[in-house]
This record gives sequence, C-alpha cells and structure tokens, in this order.
Amino acid sequence: MRTSFIRAVKAESLKLKRSPVWLAFFALPIISAFFGTMNYKLNMEVLKAEWYSLWSQHTIFLCYLFMPALIGTYCSYLWRLERTRHNWNSFLTAPVPISCLYLSKLTQAVRGAILGNLWIFFLFYISGKLAGIRSGFPPETLEWFLCGTVGAVVVCCVQLLLSLVIRSFAIPIGIALAGGVFGLFMTNHDYGMNYPYSIYCLGMRANNPNMEISLSALIVNSVGYIIVFAALSVFYLRRHEIAAN
Amino acid sequence: MNTLRMEFQKIKRKKIALTICALVSVQFAWLLWSGSRPDEDARLQGWIETLYSLPLMNVIMMPTIMSVLASRLADVEHKGNTYKLLNTLRRPGALYHAKVICGLLFILAVCAAQFIFVIALGYTRGYAGHPEWKYYAAAFVLNLACCLSLYLLQLLLSMLFFNQMIPLVAGLGGSMLGLILMYVKMYSFLPWGGFLSAAQARMDWNPDTRIIRFYYRAYSPVELCAVFMIFVWIVVFYTAGRILFSRKEV
Repeated sequence: MRTSFIRAVKAESLKLKRSPVWLAFFALPIISAFFGTMNYKLNMEVLKAEWYSLWSQHTIFLCYLFMPALIGTYCSYLWRLERTRHNWNSFLTAPVPISCLYLSKLTQAVRGAILGNLWIFFLFYISGKLAGIRSGFPPETLEWFLCGTVGAVVVCCVQLLLSLVIRSFAIPIGIALAGGVFGLFMTNHDYGMNYPYSIYCLGMRANNPNMEISLSALIVNSVGYIIVFAALSVFYLRRHEIAAN
Repeated sequence: MNTLRMEFQKIKRKKIALTICALVSVQFAWLLWSGSRPDEDARLQGWIETLYSLPLMNVIMMPTIMSVLASRLADVEHKGNTYKLLNTLRRPGALYHAKVICGLLFILAVCAAQFIFVIALGYTRGYAGHPEWKYYAAAFVLNLACCLSLYLLQLLLSMLFFNQMIPLVAGLGGSMLGLILMYVKMYSFLPWGGFLSAAQARMDWNPDTRIIRFYYRAYSPVELCAVFMIFVWIVVFYTAGRILFSRKEV
C-alpha cells in the first residue's frame, strides 16, 4: 500500500511537471500583498498594531474569497489531466488501489496549498520589512500557518470531490468563489467553524489576528470533513467513473 | 443565425444557465442578507443605496462569473478540437460572432435578473418612493457594457489557451483587482474596475456623526472618460478576439 502510494504520488508529480499550475498561487498573493501593504502605509494612523494590522490587510480578501477558488483551480486541473483524451482509462486501470490514486491527487493539491500558504507568509514578512515595521515578527504566525494548512486540506478535499463529480473545469471554481463569499456570512453568524470554506480563514486568523479560536473544534471539524469528503471521493471513483468510460 | 443556433445546441445539457443562476443567486443572497432589517433612514435612501451596492458586488464577482461563462462556451471547441473542422463549414469569424452573441444573451439575462431582483426587493422592503428610472436605466446599460467587456476579454483568453486554468486565474485575478480598486477610487480605467465607473450613486460618510448619506452621482470629466473607457475596452477586446480567433480557426 505504501509503495503504491509513493509510486502514485511520483506519477502525479510527473504529470504536473512544467505545467503553469503554480502561476495561480504565485500571482494572486502578490496582488493582495502589494495593495494590502499600500493600504497599510496609507492608513498607519488608524492601523497601529504593526504586524497584526498588516496581516489583516494582506489576508482578509485573499483568504475569504480567493484562496478557496485558487485551490479549486488546482483541483480542477488535477482531474482535467485525466479527463483529456483517454487518460481516465489508464488512470483507473493502473495497478494501484483507487484510494492511493485519490490520495496522490490529494497530496498534490495539499502540496500546492502549503506552498501557496508559505508564499503568503513570505510576502507578509518581506512587506512588513519594506513597510518599515520595527517590532519582532509575531511568533503566532506559526500557529496561523499550521491551522491555515489544516483548513486548506479541508478545502482541497471538498474541491477534489466537486471537480471529480462535475466534469466542467470552470464550475467547481465558481462554486469555490461562491463558497468563499458564503463563508463571510457563516463566519459573521459564528458558524464559521462548521463550514468547510471558513475553517481555512479562521485558522489563518484572516479577519482578526487577535481572534481566539477553539483549536480542538478546528481539528475535530477539519478531520471530520476530510474523512467524509475523501471517503465520498473514493466511493465515487469506485462506483461511477469506470462505468462512465 | 444557424451558427448561433448551433452554439445553443452545443451547450445543451451543459447546465451553463444553471451555473450562472447559482452564481448570481449568491449575489441575491448577499443583498437579502446585507439589509434584511432596514430602518426608516435605510428605507428613505434604499433606492439610491441599491445603485451603490450592486456595482460593488459586481466588481467582486462578475470577473469570475464571466470567466466561467466564457470558459464553458470556449472549452467545447477545445475538447472537440473543432476549429479546423468548423472553418471548412462556414466563413472564418462566424463562430466567434456566434459565441459573442450567445454570451451576450446570457449576460443580458443576468443583468435583467439582477435589476428585476433589486427592484422587487426594494418594493418588498418598502423603500420610500419609486426608483429613479433615468439612473436605473443608465446603471443597467453600463452594467451590461462592463459585463460584455469582461466577457470578451475572457472569451479571448479561453479561446487562446487550451489550458482553461489560465483564463480562470485571470478572472480570479480580475475579481481581486476590482475589489482592491474599490478602495482606491470610485472610477477606474481598467476593464475590471468598469463597474466602479458605472455606479450611479456615491456614498458620503461623516466620521464625526457616523452618518452615511447616498447621493446620485454627478460625473466629473475624468469619470466620464472612465465610463467611455468601458466602451473602448469592448471595441479593443472584440477586435482582438475577432482577429486572433479567425487566425486560430485557420
């Protein structure tokens, strides 16, 4: 099982070689960081919490509205590779358990999300230095990163399932954007922790860097969602796709 | 006409209308939520406020909605690899026109649905008086023009790139840029900021009294240029799309 999984992950890496898929995670955080820093510099008399103020400027829109859609784009791309030509047949008849095939896709999606997150934090650090913030880099960022990554895995699972069931490339991305917008509503009504698209934003403390969240609730809900959506995806792969091709 | 009919046959059972409806429904839900319990002051300013808030929602969501629409219409040809085949059946460019008109009909339906919804919502909530039809008509036309310019841009990208990830990321980037432009000025010369220039109402917030007042916009010469720019973008994207698409067909 372990060897199969490693082989499947290697195969997925080969499929993604030289593809421009990283562009998405690269470009949007730059726009967000640039304008977030500009806004911070222009409103320094109001935004006095230095790193914490800068963080909310950088991440509020990116995390709520665009990161789910970016992860959705990545997931759509992963399945599109199989949908073009007759790749489905090769994919499903590979001498590897279906669950390993799914996990290899999930691994790639999570890897993309983690790299995207690291890029956001790197831009945050650079922007802070360029903006002339003199205080030390907040140590809480490690917790934000870890919690955000757990939330990103949830979004990856949801989007992988959507992109698997919906054959269109674009529709799951539209759903992700709508999901992100609806996440604002859910977070506003204190249901954020129960809604898959909001967990990422809450983990990243995108709305408020000083927000206290229940770590146990975040982990339990995230693990629950990951298991449910991963199981549904594997079930769907076993039941439907072979028949459809 | 035949080519246009063929376009609708191609997208049969692709549920494009359903997808667009679902995305626009998010906007409707947002509108329902944002002013669910209007007080007396909100009712007095309701009709003007609607003309302020609708473009702001569109500036965030429409670039992505247009990218989804254009991608769905263009991807049919990529998947079937039909460019050369179609060129043998009709003159170059006919397919492009059909896709533009097909998309325009969807956009027209979306804009009409938006305005019907906000007007119905206003009457349901008991906004004072009636909508100023002059401003509402202008807002409708400019909204349609902004959507069309974005659709033409996205159609161009979706046709050029086989990998639909690129146009969709461009759409998402446009949404983000629009959202950021919103904080810079209430007009923009960029295609993604056209909705800001198209807004028929402005907001005045007094930080001392914390009172928000909406008023109908009196365009300055620069803002009028920004509105004119929406139509310039339509011409630019249409021409570029027609040239590139015709070449691609050959």
